[in-house]
Amino acid sequence: MPTPTPTYPLLAALSAVLLPFIGFLLSAMLGKRARSGGIAIASITLSLLAAGYAFAQVWGHDPVHAQWHWFTVGQQSFHVGMLLDDKAVLMLVLVCLVALPVHGYSVAYMKGDPGIHRYWAYLGLFCFAMLGLVVADNLLLMYVCWELVGFASYLLIGFWFTKDAAVQANKKAFIINRIGDVGFLIGIALVYAGFGTLDIGVLFGEPNRIAQSALPTGWLTVAGLAFFLGAMAKSAQFPLHVWLPDAMEGPTSVSSLIHAATMVAAGVFLLARIFPVFDEYVLLVIATTGALTAFVAAYFALTQYDIKRILAFSTISQLGFMMVGIGIGMYPMALFHLATHAFFKCLLFLCAGAVIHEMQHISKAHRLDIDPQDIRNMGGLRAHMPVTFATMLVASLALTGFPFTAGYLSKDALLVHAFEWAALQHGIAKAIPYVLVAVSVLTSFYIFRLLTKVFLGPFAKTLPSGGATGMHEASKWMLVPMLFLAVCSLFPLFTLHPLNDGQVWILQGMLPEAPAPPPLRALHLFIPAFSTLATCAVALLTWRWYVKGKYPLKTDGFLYRLSAHQGYLDVLYDRMIIRPVLKLSGALLWADRHIVDGIINGFAALGRYMATAAAWIDQRVVDGVVRLVGKVAWGLGNALRRSQTGRIQHYLASLFFIILVILLYHMLVQT
Amino acid sequence: MITLTHFLVVGACLFSAGLYAVLARRNAVLVLVGIELMINAAILNLVAFSRYDKAGYGGQVFALFAIVLAAAGVAVALAIVLNVYKFYKTINPEDIRNLKD
Amino acid sequence: MEMQVLAFYAFSAIAVGSSILLVSIGNMARALFLFFIVLFSVAGLYVFALADFVAITQILVYVGGVLVLMLFAFMLSSRELLNQLQNGTSQFLALPAWQALFIAVSFLAVLVYTAIHIGTAEPGWITAAKEADATIRPMDNTIQHIGAQLMTHYLLPFEVISVLLMMALIGAAHLTRKEGGT
Repeated sequence: MPTPTPTYPLLAALSAVLLPFIGFLLSAMLGKRARSGGIAIASITLSLLAAGYAFAQVWGHDPVHAQWHWFTVGQQSFHVGMLLDDKAVLMLVLVCLVALPVHGYSVAYMKGDPGIHRYWAYLGLFCFAMLGLVVADNLLLMYVCWELVGFASYLLIGFWFTKDAAVQANKKAFIINRIGDVGFLIGIALVYAGFGTLDIGVLFGEPNRIAQSALPTGWLTVAGLAFFLGAMAKSAQFPLHVWLPDAMEGPTSVSSLIHAATMVAAGVFLLARIFPVFDEYVLLVIATTGALTAFVAAYFALTQYDIKRILAFSTISQLGFMMVGIGIGMYPMALFHLATHAFFKCLLFLCAGAVIHEMQHISKAHRLDIDPQDIRNMGGLRAHMPVTFATMLVASLALTGFPFTAGYLSKDALLVHAFEWAALQHGIAKAIPYVLVAVSVLTSFYIFRLLTKVFLGPFAKTLPSGGATGMHEASKWMLVPMLFLAVCSLFPLFTLHPLNDGQVWILQGMLPEAPAPPPLRALHLFIPAFSTLATCAVALLTWRWYVKGKYPLKTDGFLYRLSAHQGYLDVLYDRMIIRPVLKLSGALLWADRHIVDGIINGFAALGRYMATAAAWIDQRVVDGVVRLVGKVAWGLGNALRRSQTGRIQHYLASLFFIILVILLYHMLVQT
Repeated sequence: MITLTHFLVVGACLFSAGLYAVLARRNAVLVLVGIELMINAAILNLVAFSRYDKAGYGGQVFALFAIVLAAAGVAVALAIVLNVYKFYKTINPEDIRNLKD
Repeated sequence: MEMQVLAFYAFSAIAVGSSILLVSIGNMARALFLFFIVLFSVAGLYVFALADFVAITQILVYVGGVLVLMLFAFMLSSRELLNQLQNGTSQFLALPAWQALFIAVSFLAVLVYTAIHIGTAEPGWITAAKEADATIRPMDNTIQHIGAQLMTHYLLPFEVISVLLMMALIGAAHLTRKEGGT
């Protein structure tokens, strides 16, 4: 175990992790006085600087590892420590880099909210937990941070806790995350049983360590599946994705940070961290689930009306992409896509937030009483919010993988490598890349649908005051973060060559463990070209349908309704799981009240009866005996008292009678 | 022949009569009389036995003393009876029940 | 039957009969007079027991003293006392109280049985006295012997008796004094 040598990267990383926590504590202590958010922004800025320094020192060099003893149970010791390798510092910088704009954006977005002091505190808590998760050096510590992240998410989803929908949503998110946590825990237990340690550096540092496990064959597969279950819940894979759309009840800035860029990526990060655990079977399961998730989510996104819900399903779909990236063995690809997705998805949400903010303003000003998040109420906002439109367009193009954006690099790289991988596979796995292509097309469709319905065409509602509608661009505090993220969504951040993923420094820095499948040169050209053309075609289609209004399809067909109701999954869960559980709990309550309490009360009643009987015995029998003695004595005394008549002749008579008796005795008995 | 037994029998009769008088009469003076009868019976016994005591004449001497004592006793008793009458206004022993429990 | 035996039976019959009558008669004055007769008869019986001095003393003290005292007490009492004394004398013979009768008769039985038993099993000293012929004779001078005994063996009781008599005298006088003005 390396002793904690105070190397600067370690200190930097440690401070990067702890600064948001200090911010949280300070905000919590100051309470309502921490409204301005200055503490939170300051802490995250400093954290970013520290993370940047750590990144610069560690990227491309040997990992830095430090540990301290935490606790010992019997013979086993557990430690807390930091492992700074490429993945960790990348995520460290990424999280800070995305969190800072969100913090700035929140200043304007959450302005005037009565609970804003809690907001800053929770944000700080979340950042601390997320940063801790990425630098944790053993699985147990990672699990602790995992749980903390889930808890912070719960707090933030239910931020407006007076809304019933928000409360239901945060409960749902937490419960489903718990299901995943069970899997994570089982995985931890199996790993510990097999290897005797949870240290990531020890477990996954040497290439072949995993093969020498003490577990019987098959259990490693179970461990892998268990870890994947954890990632499924956290990263919203089908069928545990149902919490993410509902999580949109939280503030939009929260959605952008947590449920788009960072927390949901934690599952992907976990799988990347423990990648050597997975064998072929588990990887296939991961890839299949990812592809299925991507498709199902894109399908659901097609018919949604809530702007945030469309983006939520988009997130789920892209997470599916990342899972496929892991499943095909190219976890650096997945992490790269995670990084690019973080930027453009966060940006998408921030733009959506700006639009919603503006719609709320309009609705209040003109007393329209409309749902500010419904895209059917919007339209033509390009004229009034041009910068927002521009940034959202950039983000959408990144999402669809249009050239010159970062999304193009990551997504098309994934597609190509998926085809290369599938070439070596058999059976159902061969269909995965094609599914992903279909998903790309659907992605283009739904995002352009959103763009056209929100920004193009006429405004959906007629406003009473003809000329001055009162709509204006979002404030500077919102625009600057959005612009920053837009810049990050373009290619220069990742590579100098806009169209070739070969020189992406992230990919070059992280080498995959397993040998890559043989590259198919033709696909490297064909796939990007195809996807670009498809995107353009779909964009024109949406223009025609939504702006021009020539919508040819029915809106009440079975497929449409299936998509709009999100596959009726929520209904299914409610009927199959929630209601039986509630019934069971009702039955248990009945049993507890009537049987358990009945037994107890029965015992109590029995005790009472026995006490009554004992009391009766005591009163009648025992006291009776005592009283009987008393009565006998009294009776005897009373009887004897009659001889005390006060008459002297009676006394004399008794006297002589006794003398007589004595004389008779002497006469008769004595011979 | 007048044996000792004759005297003793007579004494017994006198004693019984006196005992009856003590126990049954409703008049305090007659109770005193009964007591005197009993004492007389006792003295008769003493005298009857003293016939065989030539050396000491014990029985007769004692009989004298008994007579004297009886006389003193009856004198004091009558004085007491008088006081009882003064206080209780009755000399019926049946009516004097203050010793009753 | 000799004269003395007859006389003895006569005296004893009178004594017993008078005593029985005495305890059952209702009239108190008559009871007192019957008592008088009893005392006299018993004195005669004393003579038969060869205790002539005791007989005379009986007559002197008992009859002349005690009985006279009782009679005077009876006769000189106030009217209310007399009325009281006369109360409960509705019949000639008062009803016997059965318990007292029973006790009295039982005592009688016991005593008579003992007396007869004495006759059959005499105490040793009586038998010895009879055989030594040391019983009192009618010719003896009992007074002299009694006097001698009084002054020698029984001196202390003699003196104590005198003191006692004085006490009785003072006591009786005190008890029957008249309170000033009552």
